[in-house]
Amino acid sequence: MDMLLEALFSILTLKGLVTILCGVTAGLFIGALPGLTATMALAVLLPFTFTMSPLQGLIALGAVYMGAIYGGAFTAILINTPGTPSSIATTFDGYPMARQGRAYEALAAATIASVVGGIIGVTFLLLLAPPLARLAVVFGPAEMFWVALLGLTLVASLSSGSLLKGLLGGCIGMLLSTVGVSPIGGETRFIFGIPALQGGIELIVALIGLFVIPELISMAAQGRGALPESGKLQGGAGSAIMRMGRHIFGKPVNLIRSCIIGQLIAIIPGAGGNVTSLVAYNEARRFSKDPSSFGKGNVDGVIASESSNNVMVAGSMVPLLTLGIPGAPPDAIILGVLLMHGLRPGLDLFTETGVLTNGFILSMGFASMFLLPVGLLGGRLIHRVVVKTPFYFLLPSIAMVTILGTYALRNSMTDVFIMLLLGSVGYFLRLIGIQAAPIVLGMILGVIAEKGYVQTMLTAVVDPVPWLRLFANPLSIVLACLVALSVATTLLPGWLERSGRMAKVDPDEEKPS
Amino acid sequence: MTLATTRWVGSLTLMAALGMPGVAFAEYPEQPITYTIPFDPGGESDVTARFQEPHLEEILGVDVNVNHRPGGGGAVGWSEFQNNAEPTGYEMIGVNIPHIIAQPIMREDAGYETDNWKIVTFFHTTPNALIVPKDSQFETLDELVQYAKENPQAVTLGGSGTFSANHLGALRLEREADIDVTYIPFTGTGPLPAAIQGGHVSGIFNYSMLGVQMQDNARVLAVASEERVPALPDVPTFKELGYDIVGGAYRGVAVPKGTPDEIVNTLEEAFAETNERIAEKQEPLGFVMTDITDGEVDEVIQQLKTAYQPILEEAKANQ
Amino acid sequence: MTLRLNTDFAAGLFGLLFAAILWFPREGMGRLSIIFPRAILVIMVALSLALIVKAFIKPAARQVEIEGDPRRLVIMIVVLFAWWYAIGVLGFLVATAIVFFGLTWYLAHIEGPVPVRRLAQWAPIVAVLIGAFYLAFTEVLSVRLPSGIWS
Repeated sequence: MDMLLEALFSILTLKGLVTILCGVTAGLFIGALPGLTATMALAVLLPFTFTMSPLQGLIALGAVYMGAIYGGAFTAILINTPGTPSSIATTFDGYPMARQGRAYEALAAATIASVVGGIIGVTFLLLLAPPLARLAVVFGPAEMFWVALLGLTLVASLSSGSLLKGLLGGCIGMLLSTVGVSPIGGETRFIFGIPALQGGIELIVALIGLFVIPELISMAAQGRGALPESGKLQGGAGSAIMRMGRHIFGKPVNLIRSCIIGQLIAIIPGAGGNVTSLVAYNEARRFSKDPSSFGKGNVDGVIASESSNNVMVAGSMVPLLTLGIPGAPPDAIILGVLLMHGLRPGLDLFTETGVLTNGFILSMGFASMFLLPVGLLGGRLIHRVVVKTPFYFLLPSIAMVTILGTYALRNSMTDVFIMLLLGSVGYFLRLIGIQAAPIVLGMILGVIAEKGYVQTMLTAVVDPVPWLRLFANPLSIVLACLVALSVATTLLPGWLERSGRMAKVDPDEEKPS
Repeated sequence: MTLATTRWVGSLTLMAALGMPGVAFAEYPEQPITYTIPFDPGGESDVTARFQEPHLEEILGVDVNVNHRPGGGGAVGWSEFQNNAEPTGYEMIGVNIPHIIAQPIMREDAGYETDNWKIVTFFHTTPNALIVPKDSQFETLDELVQYAKENPQAVTLGGSGTFSANHLGALRLEREADIDVTYIPFTGTGPLPAAIQGGHVSGIFNYSMLGVQMQDNARVLAVASEERVPALPDVPTFKELGYDIVGGAYRGVAVPKGTPDEIVNTLEEAFAETNERIAEKQEPLGFVMTDITDGEVDEVIQQLKTAYQPILEEAKANQ
Repeated sequence: MTLRLNTDFAAGLFGLLFAAILWFPREGMGRLSIIFPRAILVIMVALSLALIVKAFIKPAARQVEIEGDPRRLVIMIVVLFAWWYAIGVLGFLVATAIVFFGLTWYLAHIEGPVPVRRLAQWAPIVAVLIGAFYLAFTEVLSVRLPSGIWS
């Protein structure tokens, strides 16, 4: 306890607080730009931290991380573009809300959810790090395979309309993820003789292409901006914030569930933030009284996504600080900084250098609190810019930022081309009912599934029946049952309806939108 | 839209992107130098470059801009560099052994060649280390080898990547000790600590850094260096234990072929000086600082090429 | 604009085409590299065939709606690719300045004729926008943007 207090005082200095404030603000803007990820934000900041003391450097990194993950929500809501992969699920309901003129409500909800998520993540980290860390290492290749399959059952809820087309989209995504160097075999696949394709199709490149470009194309076709002129906010910004606050805390089940999901997934190494928000979104939808309103502007979807991905920030520090296992890509950079300052992950970090570690953790808590004022003010500013800018300025600007962001990701014009190609094809796929979300989900999970499966088979090379290795541990059996259960609960209602009450509208029936 | 078009349009743009004004090297350097890392930010190569950046700037007196061109285990960045970079001394790229040896052998078209540039220096190596979980039944390397002899393929060794330094290390151990183990590739070093602490593999073949980092949670059986690694004084080398396995990753920096010797010398000296300054930070992490330049570079590459080529070709045939 | 198109059939056909492109170059890959893509390809072909069968038995929608002007849609796609190409040739700054300005003019045109005076007023705004982003990326994030023939 003394250590915690000492840590608290060590960051409650003017220098500490200013560092947090600047970090959060910088992270927020970088995260809001599509293509610029939290990983990149941390990498850019890295050289500056060399000149700082270890604590101040870590504080800055933690604040930027927190800000960047949250910043992704802005563009997700305002222009249907996940600024970072972790805010994919925010677009599902955030953008429909914005199109209905409820953009500020969505932003306020996202902000409050992020703040709460961030603080809860820090609390978990402070109180439960050692027991949670033990969970992290039980996920071996076989378990990861089942986790990926479990994630793939999300396709069912992401494919609005036809399940077959959703699954087809998932397959397309998984195949796209196999372009480049194979993770286990080490050979190049599907590169068609182009050396630049050895780098594969980066998830973020596909993400930007599939989400932004179709939206840009249809904005041009319709001659409109991203958002309609919403007129006056109902009772002004303050009342929107109050309303969202009451909504979130009035029925906290969604928030609590999303935070727990966020924490559990954050400690699974390799799954990381890209998946957390999708799973939390799916569960929010599954347990909702009105699942059909999801995807059409239900604020609970935004809350689930944003609270869970901000839990992940501190949550993924659990395996990092205790065992040296980076759970998400940005964590690798934080690990590098720790090592550079001679801090070895392990329990020593919480005892011998406990003041420093706890100071770092607490600073992430402060960073999430700072999201509230910074986010609400910044959100209002960006919202106003998007709504007030005439569409003939807005559209080229979005296109320019998209090109810049995609290029900057790997300094590659090839990536820009891939982004545009996927985007243009994606527009037509959307017309025939193959949505972007299942494709992206396939890309994220395909890699995890492949690695899990092939590594398991390699490990089992001496077994008489190799694939039984997939069910060798209690945990993998539990996960396999969860997959079966998830498939059943998704398919059963539709099947019952069709066999029992044929007269009712077929769930496969879809209307082109 | 055929992909063939993308290819030439792509290379055209890249040529344009990487072109820099060619200036006389009267007073090299006089403008910012671009230092490309063909890997993701956060990895060992990137972190090292970030360490070097301020010192290089101070010594050379110009800005050194680190940027990343990741993909294909480095191949994307290297093929672009060999095709487009100009020999002005204002463009350099990080190079890694065994990547630049193994990829051109293993891939039909890696897009670059092992020798088609001037390697300025290899500034450090990270020797392979054989690490087992703390509660492992293997106390020494001999116990592991003995067990593997009795149970072919049953010992699983994780490592970072396929045909990487780790993989080659495991293959060489198989040859030297006449055993048959199963190598399980993981993507990068990140997932390895979890694999070993969760007992998903019998052990891992990774770099000495991980051995240092995991001192409390794992046991390092041997390191593949000529002499003991300063940061791991109690760990024997493979050589001491009777296995002639020396190897790991070498990191260095290259400039395009045809870069004037004066410039290469200036860079060589700058890197040597930088290395001295950052040694006190890097050595405790498990890096072994080196200063391999000029003729030695070719020697190292030739030596490793002869060592790796048969192993690689056999592995390729078996796949 | 409404197009007559059986979306199930179109999706199935796309799936088959996509699978075909990836099916043929799979030769010469080791077992470890091909096992996963091959499994997915098989599943994908099955799904595509199911969609095509469904297209004849119980089709979903037989028409698709393209909102807005299809000509502008095509032009927008062409402009994006032209932009990409121009960056390679002219460098980021020049290419973006031209395409950005042209696109703004073209889009503003939708709402009515654009007098020259308004165009002149936009020039500084566009310049500041592009300049700000250019500087932010090159100076703050130290990203080296393509410079094209000007290097």
